[in-house]
Amino acid sequence: MDILAFLLHGFAIALEPQNLFLALIGCAVGTLIGALPGLGPVNGVALLIPLAFNFGLSPTAALILLVSVYYGTMYGGRISSIVLNIPGDEPAMMTTLDGYPMALKGRGGEALGLSAVASFVGATVATIGLTLFAPLLVGFAIRFGPAEYFALFMLAFATIGGVTSGSFTKSFIAAGLGLLLGTVGLDPATGVSRYTFGLYELYDGIDFIAALVGLFAISECLILLEDRRRETATNQELGSAIPGMKSARQCAPTIARGSLIGFVAGVLPGAGASLGSFLSYTLEKRWLGRKGDFGNGDPRGVAAPEAGNNAAAGGALIPMLSLGIPGSGTTAILLALLLSMNITPGPLLFEQQPDMVWGLVAALFIGNIMLLVLNVPLVGLFARVLRAPTWLLMPVVILVAFVGVYSLNNSAFDLYVMLAFGVLGYVLRKLDIPSVPVVLGLLLGGQMEFNLRRAMSISGGDWSILVSSGISIGIYAFAVALMAAGLLFAWWLKREEAGR
Amino acid sequence: MTAEASGAAPSTAALGDRIAGAVLAVLAVAAWWHAQTFVSGFRQPVGPDLFPRLVCVPLGVLALYLMCRPGLNQRWPRGVALLRQAGLLVVLGGYAGFLEPWGFLPATLVCSVLLIRLFDAAWRQALVSGLSLTVILYLLFEYALGIPLPAVPGLGV
Amino acid sequence: MAISLRPLHTLAVSLLLAGGLTVSAPSQALPISDCLAPADPGGGWDFTCRSVGKLLHELGLVDSPVRVINMPGGVGAVAFSNVAGKRAGDSNLIVATSTVGVTQIAQGRYPGDVDTMRWLAMLGTDVGVILVDDDSPYQSLDELLEAMVDDPTSVVIAGSSGIGGWDHVRALMLAKAAGLSSEQSGSVRWVQFDGGGPAVTQMMGGHVDAVSTDLGEIAGFINSGDVRVLAVLADEPLAPPFDDLPTAISQGYDVTGYNWRGFYTGGEVSDADYQSMVETLKTLYDSPEWKQVAERNGLVPLWRGGDEFDAFVRDTADKVESISQEIGVIQ
Repeated sequence: MDILAFLLHGFAIALEPQNLFLALIGCAVGTLIGALPGLGPVNGVALLIPLAFNFGLSPTAALILLVSVYYGTMYGGRISSIVLNIPGDEPAMMTTLDGYPMALKGRGGEALGLSAVASFVGATVATIGLTLFAPLLVGFAIRFGPAEYFALFMLAFATIGGVTSGSFTKSFIAAGLGLLLGTVGLDPATGVSRYTFGLYELYDGIDFIAALVGLFAISECLILLEDRRRETATNQELGSAIPGMKSARQCAPTIARGSLIGFVAGVLPGAGASLGSFLSYTLEKRWLGRKGDFGNGDPRGVAAPEAGNNAAAGGALIPMLSLGIPGSGTTAILLALLLSMNITPGPLLFEQQPDMVWGLVAALFIGNIMLLVLNVPLVGLFARVLRAPTWLLMPVVILVAFVGVYSLNNSAFDLYVMLAFGVLGYVLRKLDIPSVPVVLGLLLGGQMEFNLRRAMSISGGDWSILVSSGISIGIYAFAVALMAAGLLFAWWLKREEAGR
Repeated sequence: MTAEASGAAPSTAALGDRIAGAVLAVLAVAAWWHAQTFVSGFRQPVGPDLFPRLVCVPLGVLALYLMCRPGLNQRWPRGVALLRQAGLLVVLGGYAGFLEPWGFLPATLVCSVLLIRLFDAAWRQALVSGLSLTVILYLLFEYALGIPLPAVPGLGV
Repeated sequence: MAISLRPLHTLAVSLLLAGGLTVSAPSQALPISDCLAPADPGGGWDFTCRSVGKLLHELGLVDSPVRVINMPGGVGAVAFSNVAGKRAGDSNLIVATSTVGVTQIAQGRYPGDVDTMRWLAMLGTDVGVILVDDDSPYQSLDELLEAMVDDPTSVVIAGSSGIGGWDHVRALMLAKAAGLSSEQSGSVRWVQFDGGGPAVTQMMGGHVDAVSTDLGEIAGFINSGDVRVLAVLADEPLAPPFDDLPTAISQGYDVTGYNWRGFYTGGEVSDADYQSMVETLKTLYDSPEWKQVAERNGLVPLWRGGDEFDAFVRDTADKVESISQEIGVIQ
């Protein structure tokens, strides 16, 4: 079999001492960057590009370094999610929902171990998928036009009620608020400014990272100030990561489903890792229904999004390599790097640059194993770091977040945005309105709107284009079924409670 | 019930939800109304105003529903707690404002010391850890990560 | 904003800055030490800064590495207003821009006009292309444009810019050359994607009919034979391997559409400093290293500097302004 021969050749390249060393460095640095609140894969990869240039690395070596960083940040992002309830980046957001409650119960180590295994499986599934199906999946992704993407986003928001354990009304209100905030800025299609009130800083819209860090980190800080004796996860023992590896066996079906969903979401260009972790969490919650205890520290609530976001990160490499289409901010940077190294991703890449492509794929396998091995001893290290007293830990977290957010755009304005979102996040928490849908609306709203408008531009104003293909009809049917199931379930739950 | 395991019991007096519902309903109406100014001369099937309006409809309706049938709320802070929270916002707002004019090092030093004090540490602890935190952050971002930070005017560091 | 002065020459520089640049301009321009990329890392402007900044240092034109500062926002408007307000006189600063930025200025979307800044030079250019899928019914540019003129709503064109953006304007310039009336140019269906690659993929999936974008971004699809190039918008046929692509001019439509990459600096930089910055960039342009970097990135090395570049920018802005008025993007 050709693929096997190519892959073996790829391993030979990736196992060269220099490349192996670069992968190790990349994994470690990536984990560190990902763990800092406010710094995620995009920054991690962008920061290391100059390094790759300065060392004069070959394209293959540079790419191995950078994808190791990419995978490393995806791993690292979950650490602050679980331990501090502060996601390091968008895809890690879903992990806070059950990861932090687990940490509060003293099962933080288990959650970290579990998420490492789930990430490993998700990423490995995606890498295997990348190996086997790259050409096939490209054909599938091409059939997704604007109307089909719009349907996909409708599905995402139809299931938003399932994100949190709060009330449906409040989840949808939060999503609506996020979508509305997402329209702030210059409309890219026409240049009309929307809700910017003349502020140039708002022309590119509200910065996701600033909003995210504000909603989670600043609001957490406000809550802590309110009640000095409040129990935080950092007062808890983290425990060992080994039970996590055991509970991974119980979560195996969840991890498998999460990986598949994430992978498919990643392959679709433009959907990205956030949608991957989001869909795998909500769909898993629906799937388990009453058997799950999602939102209160169910290990499966950690396993599903972690498998999902890592699978999506791997899946996103498929459209990037084979079509030259970035599925996310990070792959956009990798794409720019490839272009600057005289490699044009596209349908011919697999034929013209087999060394690079298969060396990269092999590096992904190796990087995954490295991350898994690195992460088990790291749990102990984090336990020690996070045992620091609150008076030290919280200012550190806040300041790192501040400097990180500032350095993204060199903009003090973003810091005010972050503070404003901190207050918003605090008020929402007091009102029991979940913050996660706000970020999702902010994050996905733009693409949702543009796909709607693209579809309408293509049809010249005929709304029937939205339901003109089998794919979109199928997606809508699925969304309706899920919503109906959710409502029925809520009604049934209410009746059960009333009957008791 | 909330997903937060935050000791504070939810109070059933859901005045907060009613106010939030009212505020959001007003926001939805205002956003809908403001969207009429989003005009582009180019004829398009769907202009820049449609999507915000599509979002305003369910947002407004759900906000009204929340106003009429509020759910559970957490207890709101009072007295000292509120003061401390305001203190945090003032310190951080000041930091955002002074970061560029003062430069990174002095602004961060002042902010970190005040922040640590706010979390009940003694002055000595606050000064020592504030200073080391500032230096570590500076070295981390400026040198290890290579991200330029605002320099102190006239000194270049 | 005094971010980013390197410690080596910082003291002298800061004293100069503190002393006030308005009092007396230094006879020698400060070496270029900062490059402002008005975009996130990874985009075209970011790449312009990073590659030029790196070469400036490697060629010994500056003593210390040039710092790249990313300042995204408003398709360059945030960086533009920042330079105008805070660093208008800094001769150590260059700002990356391109046809896209000038288009924004021409449509009044920056806080200022072409006079607000001093235009240094362009170093290279990407070339516009019009392409269709390899099994599209349109075999030639004539056929495509004929269909558009007959019924402007019959063809769906896509590209990476918004309405009134450079990709859209270039396509309309062609249609106008083929006889599409100004009133009808507003009814041509235009769809914006996040880049040339996504637009081409959507075309391959049969969702749109034709794509107008830059060659550099989609060269891979041309090499693989998945698309058919109807026209390149260049004065002359391109260098190999793209030498067999027909130009619009050779098919009887006098339209060119370059997307150049270049730099501006603050409007209060003195004439002497301005000249010396232009010379630095010219030295960089003349080096074989720049030619290599440019070609590797799908750019054609092309020099316009100083007053010539200034005039060129003004001319482009005028053209874009008039076509934008015709299609109703601006009043």
